[in-house]
Amino acid sequence: MRNLVLKLHIYAGLLTFSQLMLYGVAGLVATAQTAAERPKIPHTIRHVPFSIAASATDQQVADEVYRTLRLPLTRPMPGWFLRRTPENDLLLDFYNINGIWRVVVLERESRLRIEEIRNSLGLFLGDVHASTTGDEEAPRLVRLWALYNEFAMWCLLAFCCSGVYLWLTAQARSWWAWASLATGTVSFAALWMAFR
Amino acid sequence: MYKIVRNVHLLLASISLPFLIMYGLSAVQMSHSTWFQLKPAVEERQVSLTVGQTDGRAIAREIMDRERTVKGEISSIQPNDAGVALRIVVPGTVHDVRYERASGVARIKTSVAGTMGMLNRLHHWAGFWHEPVSMKIWAVAVAVVSAALMLLGASGVYMWFTRRPERRIGIALLAINVLFAMTLLTLIRISGP
Repeated sequence: MRNLVLKLHIYAGLLTFSQLMLYGVAGLVATAQTAAERPKIPHTIRHVPFSIAASATDQQVADEVYRTLRLPLTRPMPGWFLRRTPENDLLLDFYNINGIWRVVVLERESRLRIEEIRNSLGLFLGDVHASTTGDEEAPRLVRLWALYNEFAMWCLLAFCCSGVYLWLTAQARSWWAWASLATGTVSFAALWMAFR
Repeated sequence: MYKIVRNVHLLLASISLPFLIMYGLSAVQMSHSTWFQLKPAVEERQVSLTVGQTDGRAIAREIMDRERTVKGEISSIQPNDAGVALRIVVPGTVHDVRYERASGVARIKTSVAGTMGMLNRLHHWAGFWHEPVSMKIWAVAVAVVSAALMLLGASGVYMWFTRRPERRIGIALLAINVLFAMTLLTLIRISGP
């Protein structure tokens, strides 16, 4: 039995190695962040011609912009997300896991201003670690990643169980391992109570 | 060498275990939100504060001085015509405060998350920019567990490689994982912006 659990522990670990590294990186990136807000500085700005019918609603314009630009890994803009700039131009933030395509519909100039705001690699890895299968409308690539993430998530829980089993069935059970388990448990419980 | 690495693996795993279970369980909750009921317990009350205040931070301080159960950091302050609306937060608990300048009355709506809601909030909590000491200590724990997780992976790979019978199949599994992850992440990353 122990040998089987050990093999599963090893094989599942190898099959989810990248995800475990990614989870660690995501935690360190979150630790290094200095504020909740993310920088939204565009790295490039470009303009493309775009004309709209005078009778079109904001939602219809947003849908037309989405169809025209076909920005990768984005999805149609929901009505509640439509905004206006201080100059009263329609503002469309197309989010994806890499950042934001900020599109301003310059109706009077018959063109779109497209600002490309790119998340740093750290933020990207942080976001990627949070992809879940619960988001059923996610783009196919992200969904594929989310499926593997789901597998790694269950494996992480399984490692906790199998790791404890392997430790408790090992011949040498060191006192310091009990001490470190107690330290982790007491620390977690103390912080939990401090927040309650 | 093997014995040292094995002991490091065991030490890191045992100290991180409660945190890893928290991350795993809350990840399941986020991935399958319909499986869980996250409705918080809500309680409302009001307290009388100094009349005529306009500074959100001063209002929050006075509330925390008078009401010992209200603690945390201020996550938002929004002045309005009648006074100030502000929010005081700790992981799992949110205090929404509406202060009326004319009367000095502050209405506090407190939402306390259940166990899964608390795990969810803890999963998202990190960084040293939070003000309360308890949150800074939590940030240290997150950093330690994150680094430990990476070391667990690295030490696990080392220990597997020393086991000859599992080496061939292990190389195949590791290659599948790394190639799949790198390909997918690269394709996602180059999609822009």
